Amino acid sequence: MSPARILSRQALAGLTRDRSVLIRVAFFAAMVLITAWLGWSATATVNAIYADAAAYLAASGQPVPPNPVSVSAPLAVLRNLGVYISLIGAFGAIVIGQHLVEADRRAGTLPLIGARPFARRDIALGKMRALVTATAAMMAVAGVIALGTLLTLPSLVVTGPDLGRLALFLLAGWAYVTTFGFLALGAAARLPATAAGLIAATVVWLIITFVLPELTANLHPTAAINPVTTLAATPDAGVFHLFSALLGPVSLAEGFAWLSGDLLGFLPEGLAPRGPVPPALALAVALVLSGLFAAQAATRLDLNAGGPDA
Amino acid sequence: MPHATPAVSTRGLSKSHGDTVVLHPLSLDVPQGEVFGFLGHNGAGKTTTIRLLTTLLAPTSGSACVAGHDVTAEPLKLRAAIGYLPENVRLYDRFTARENLLFFARLSGVADPADAVRETLEFLDIAALADRRVGTFSKGMRQRVGLAQAILHDPEVLFLDEPTSGLDPMGVRQLRGMIEKLHGRGMTIFMNTHLLSEVARSCTSIGVLAHGRLVFNDSMQAVADRYDEAGLEELYAGVAAAEVAA
Repeated sequence: MSPARILSRQALAGLTRDRSVLIRVAFFAAMVLITAWLGWSATATVNAIYADAAAYLAASGQPVPPNPVSVSAPLAVLRNLGVYISLIGAFGAIVIGQHLVEADRRAGTLPLIGARPFARRDIALGKMRALVTATAAMMAVAGVIALGTLLTLPSLVVTGPDLGRLALFLLAGWAYVTTFGFLALGAAARLPATAAGLIAATVVWLIITFVLPELTANLHPTAAINPVTTLAATPDAGVFHLFSALLGPVSLAEGFAWLSGDLLGFLPEGLAPRGPVPPALALAVALVLSGLFAAQAATRLDLNAGGPDA
Repeated sequence: MPHATPAVSTRGLSKSHGDTVVLHPLSLDVPQGEVFGFLGHNGAGKTTTIRLLTTLLAPTSGSACVAGHDVTAEPLKLRAAIGYLPENVRLYDRFTARENLLFFARLSGVADPADAVRETLEFLDIAALADRRVGTFSKGMRQRVGLAQAILHDPEVLFLDEPTSGLDPMGVRQLRGMIEKLHGRGMTIFMNTHLLSEVARSCTSIGVLAHGRLVFNDSMQAVADRYDEAGLEELYAGVAAAEVAA
């Protein structure tokens, strides 16, 4: 077994035994479940109203329009999932990324690891591998719950291409949360003070989630966390068009929201993404850059730091 | 000659942080099979020296070899040949002693980690601790498991940084017994300490570091011959006086 794999397995085992991490993951799963229930409940309500209305219309000899559930994209019932991924999922990844470094620092095991016969880059690879696995597990949980919702809802016809789009949505969600996890991992490796990495990554996350949408689209924080209102067109003012062009590619929360709307089928007709760069490309570049930052920072991690007082 | 190559050898090894010199050029040889006590007050540069010799820090100048491997040219071979117990090791609280040791055995590339862990626990007489969570351990128990992680792979040279720091008298005694057992196996032990009683009981040779400079280096026998009964304490007091004068 390679040193990176050994380190990764140990880090993942440590995560599963840390109550604070488990609570956040459980919270994420609970919110995804609530999302699924909300989608299920809304759809079931529309179905019930439609059935009564259709029966009445048929009885009175009037034409019966199609069920609105069957004409809308079936994946649209999962529209809240994107919000929970960009809020709780991303913050969960930040906690995990920071924990992967901080756990060794607190245990005083960094010098013990550093005195073992393998290259420093293996430490970075091990930590990154653990993070990627943990965030993939989070998205797998979200995927299973989403799939269960889709398969149990009456009147929803889910096709093969729908499942493909769901998989792409989960992949985009994974890339989004992992980007923040990498940022936290790198920041924790760079900043030896306890929780400094957590705070630094959280500040970046807050800026991307709440500040940039204000600058590009005049979206207030409450609007930025609503899956529908966040998909607003750029206001017709020069300053917003300028900020959209400049900040659009780094406004990842908006990019992810646009991708979610596009993949789940609730994107308003003709709504263009912010800025000149397609959101999928911006997200991929952000993932790669944050990964490089994490790799560089974790490779240069100060292995002398830590101990009971750290 | 079986002991021709020193276990630890430094030539002009130094470390600076900016304008602050932490370790002045250090030239030192520790023969194989010795228990070398590295004495000095807090902040003298002992821990920095161990970190340089275990490749955890890069030297500013000079060279060093441990078990025949250069610290900068062959760090992986060097790390394969050493064991290291830092001061105040905690280990992973939520894992048992056995789980902690298995992790470090795998990282050391041990062929049969489970077997190595079992043998090490038995050798150090701590098998009873194996399946208890480290978070429930006293300082002394942690230190013994910490020593176990350092010798799992049967290293040629063992570095101990203040191994008895914070231990109660019984813990000190138990750890001393372990060090004696390891010495009996022919392992070279490089031990940082500022406890003269520990040096007197465990070490075969000593070096004294003051303000980053090596001010004394000789065998314990030579110390005994030169300083009569008061021995080490008189030697150390002399060094302290020299520091004040400097």
